[in-house]
Amino acid sequence: MLQYSLRRLLIGAGMLLALSMLIFVMLRLTPGDPIDAYIDPNVPMSPSDLVELRDTLGLDAPLPVQYLAWLQQAVMGNLGYSIKRPDQPVLSLVFSRIGPTVLLMGSAIVISIIAGIASGMISAVRRNSVVDLSFSLFAVTGISSPPFLSALVGLYLFSVYFDWLPSGGMLTPGRDFSIADLLHHLILPAALLAVAQTALIMRYMRSSMLEVLNQDYVRTARAKGVYEFWVITKHALRNALLPVVTLIGSTIGLAIGGAIFIESVFNWPGMGLLMVDAVENRDYPVIMGSTLVIGACVIFVNILTDLAYAVIDPRIKVG
Amino acid sequence: MNAMSKISSAIAIAAMMATTAMPMLTAPAQAATLSGGFDVGPGGFQGNFNPLAATSGFTWLSVYFEPLVTYDEKLQKVVGLLASSYEVSADQLTYTFKLADAKWHDGKPFTAKDAKFTMGLAQNAKTGSVLAARLTAVSSVEAVDHKTLVIKLSAPSSSLMDTLTKVMMLPEHALSQIAPDQLAKNTWWSTTPIGTGPFKFTRYVTDQYVEMAANSDYRGGKPALEKVINRYFANPAAAIAALRAGEIQFTYVDSNDLGAFKNNKDFRIIEGDSFVVNYLGFNHDSPIWKDARVRQAVMYAINRDAIIQSLYGGAAKTANCAYVSEQVVPKNIEPYAYNPEKAKQLLKEAGWDQINGNKPITLLTYYTTPLAANVMAAVQAMLGQAGINVTPRAVDTPTYNSIVLNPTPDTSQFQMVYAGLQNGPDAGSINVGLNEKQIPPAGPNVARVRMPDLTKALDAALGETDAAKRDARYQEVCKVMNKDLPWGTLWVANRYGVASAKLKDFVWTPAPGGGPYQAHPEKWSIAE
Amino acid sequence: MLGRTSHRSPGPLARAFERFRLNRAAMAGVSLIVPLVVAILTYPFWWSFKPNDIDLLAMNAGPSAKHWFGTDGVGRDVFARAMEGGRISLLVAAASTVISAAIGFLVGAISALAGRWTDAVTMRFVDLVMTLPPVIFLLVLASIAGTGIWPTILVISLLSWPLLARMVRSRLLELRERDFVLAARGMGAGLPHLLFRHGLPNSIDILVVFATLQIANAILLEAGLSFLGLGIAPPAASWGNMLNAARSTAVLEQYPWQWLFPGGALVVTVLAINFIGDGLRDAFDPRAELH
Repeated sequence: MLQYSLRRLLIGAGMLLALSMLIFVMLRLTPGDPIDAYIDPNVPMSPSDLVELRDTLGLDAPLPVQYLAWLQQAVMGNLGYSIKRPDQPVLSLVFSRIGPTVLLMGSAIVISIIAGIASGMISAVRRNSVVDLSFSLFAVTGISSPPFLSALVGLYLFSVYFDWLPSGGMLTPGRDFSIADLLHHLILPAALLAVAQTALIMRYMRSSMLEVLNQDYVRTARAKGVYEFWVITKHALRNALLPVVTLIGSTIGLAIGGAIFIESVFNWPGMGLLMVDAVENRDYPVIMGSTLVIGACVIFVNILTDLAYAVIDPRIKVG
Repeated sequence: MNAMSKISSAIAIAAMMATTAMPMLTAPAQAATLSGGFDVGPGGFQGNFNPLAATSGFTWLSVYFEPLVTYDEKLQKVVGLLASSYEVSADQLTYTFKLADAKWHDGKPFTAKDAKFTMGLAQNAKTGSVLAARLTAVSSVEAVDHKTLVIKLSAPSSSLMDTLTKVMMLPEHALSQIAPDQLAKNTWWSTTPIGTGPFKFTRYVTDQYVEMAANSDYRGGKPALEKVINRYFANPAAAIAALRAGEIQFTYVDSNDLGAFKNNKDFRIIEGDSFVVNYLGFNHDSPIWKDARVRQAVMYAINRDAIIQSLYGGAAKTANCAYVSEQVVPKNIEPYAYNPEKAKQLLKEAGWDQINGNKPITLLTYYTTPLAANVMAAVQAMLGQAGINVTPRAVDTPTYNSIVLNPTPDTSQFQMVYAGLQNGPDAGSINVGLNEKQIPPAGPNVARVRMPDLTKALDAALGETDAAKRDARYQEVCKVMNKDLPWGTLWVANRYGVASAKLKDFVWTPAPGGGPYQAHPEKWSIAE
Repeated sequence: MLGRTSHRSPGPLARAFERFRLNRAAMAGVSLIVPLVVAILTYPFWWSFKPNDIDLLAMNAGPSAKHWFGTDGVGRDVFARAMEGGRISLLVAAASTVISAAIGFLVGAISALAGRWTDAVTMRFVDLVMTLPPVIFLLVLASIAGTGIWPTILVISLLSWPLLARMVRSRLLELRERDFVLAARGMGAGLPHLLFRHGLPNSIDILVVFATLQIANAILLEAGLSFLGLGIAPPAASWGNMLNAARSTAVLEQYPWQWLFPGGALVVTVLAINFIGDGLRDAFDPRAELH
């Protein structure tokens, strides 16, 4: 197990290196550079004002030189400074955003795991009942709606029209931190974000549960006269959870990347917004840095998922 | 307070689940705190704390920093701020500033040495200063005594005072230890900056808000507010939602979002000139615009009045040259009233069928607002009626700049641009967009205007040292533009802010780049 | 149809079709999508307004007998734009699905059938693309490609193929060691032969189900891209950029027809396609192996 984990970590490190090269090349293919992003066409300002800045940033050096310079610093743990906000180191910028994102996505995932697994089980057990049909309808509508649209409508309804919840942000500015204040800001975006996830988990849960319920050992258990409740929770649930765990694992990894739509509508200071802003401003160091951090998280979570899988399913042996 | 909001959020959650219509308010903002979206919209620059690097965002920066001189609230003339008075010598080469009795937020006095130090930073491009190129005419800066600063120029400059309004004074005692090339990277800007303004920096919560507290020692009197908070918003729509929910008391608002605030007694709409002229820039490197009749046809083909009435709700002025203010627009210039027949006639005379015919012409723009999308649709339809087939293409700012500022551009990518350029308060602002000497890479004359008459008129206006004759010079610029059409000038639109009716003595104007201007933040107050 | 299959023992495709036909949700999906697609394709013949004709005197008008879905901010007919937007959205979705299915199949099948080294290299590459944060991949790719129909198709295609490649590979890996493949190899069959004579028939069900669900995904992705200002740029219409208008509170609140109708069309289409996709999945393999 340990050897397996080590090997996976090593492969992961190689992957990060390749990832940084790929994103570096892609970035240089985007039209315009940080200096172009800095110039506001409405303001009488000439590109010659910024020649010095371009020099300082080393943007005129050949690409491999630029990449190696970046890599050399990155290996030593220095991801450089944001270009748009030169007083902010990339690492602290990224870490200040990961917290809010993990909080938002984490809450959404918890909501959707609980709601999704429960409703998926009920649907499977009460197959083709009214409950099943209405859950299915909800699921399929949830998956079929563009996330930004439900976010806009939700924001308008709950914050502007009913005035129940704050319109965005994470904390009330100027007030001391309190958990209640945080929850107050969190509930709406997390709930909206959870809708699609819940629907997805529910569908997987339902089909995987149905499959398991048809398996011989479940039939045997039933035939032996085990109570239906125990059949479902003890025999069926554990096996039905397998594909769902994979699904959840893959979403957790991606979750670090944030949810651009919800974050942008609710003004949530997370990774998604940071990256939208960084790409708009061609803030190369920020994009490279966040790609690296997110990539590392994804790789790490994938390894963890595989290990968790082995724990749940004794048939699988890693190594 | 804590328990209150804990209960309120618990109820809110319960209310949400039961979906009963029980209005839950966020706890009312603390008294004497003004929250606003000061960096929302085109004049804002969220996340920038360094005035030397500021291309915009001056509305917020001037809450805690101050320049020597600033514009008055109407943006008509330059007045003293940290300079209590100033004199200009007869040869326009020596500027003498008498400094006010001001203190930094840490209690140390503000002196001419600080001013000299700041000028040095602003002139030094190594600090990341975006002002350096505009201060090249400055030959020396001397602190004659504690309260007198003398700036000498190598040649007269009509734009020096305008540039000086953007030079925010910085404390020498706090910054002199930092090497110039490390200055921009220093965390001082967003952690412990000090200025001389009416509010003191307290904290910045990364990407959420900046908080300021009243500077009770302010020389203009103790501020009426206790706190000012600048909240960051990812887009204007989020700021509008916060304003309507009562979480902030002020923000910039796009003109097509004003509907909800009109005839609403809880809000006050603040209207102002954007000082940005919108135009269709003909790419003069492309052969299709060579014939002046084609350019005239574009002007006649677009019903600017209809667009202004319907899309801008009447809140824009048609521009027949780069200017709309009376003192620089001569009488009897061609108004280019909407005349589609004349447009077709002119195109026929010019032989448009041979020049380009029905081939699509790329109309490039960096404006991505819903309003701009509607304007482009209207322009496309109107030009299409006349026989000019344009295809709008909206891109983000870096893409736009990389295409148009390229020294050897691909003409097929942008035969035409829909853009804007600042035309005031200093009328000379438009020079960079039209002067032949400013063709990229030297400057942002992206339309590649090569018109000797126009360049001559602009140079004459910029070099005019007699303020009384300056307007006449700019009238000449306007006349040449109106006749030769380097651009198809469209309009100068108004911009808007919306403030809560509870705000008193709140001064805001949609100045280009956010100002600076005399906003007197110390007088702002908020009713209970 | 029924008569034909009853003559002889039905093949797997025919059996799948039969199962699909009996799936009520899937048939509901078909009965939603067919009229919609017909309407979208034929609207210029029976609807008098054009999607880009402006009328500044009739802007922001609500639904009426003349303009069924009302008009937008420059007086364009929302019905015509919803139809035209549907054309573009569906074109983008269909084209990107075909491209990503082709890439996904080729990469997956080559990886499975062309030998271990190729396999290792390609799969590492697929892993790499899947590790790239989708948000960054999307944003950077879209900035490189720019806006418009073909760039959007390209972005969506490049974003969607890795998952399919993995599924095709795992299906075909079993095949690699089977007798008939080994025999074909032994007789000197080239890679194209293996890919299209053995690989394709054996993964056709995965491809069909992927393609259907991917069309639904692509419609949503296009909408998301356009919402960020990266997909189809106005004045061209697409469901995504019509929904973008809802960003303005004025439109969201006062002129809801400008986003409700395209939004409704989008949700109904995606919903119907999801129904069909689920039906196809169940029909091909009741044990649903496609995740």
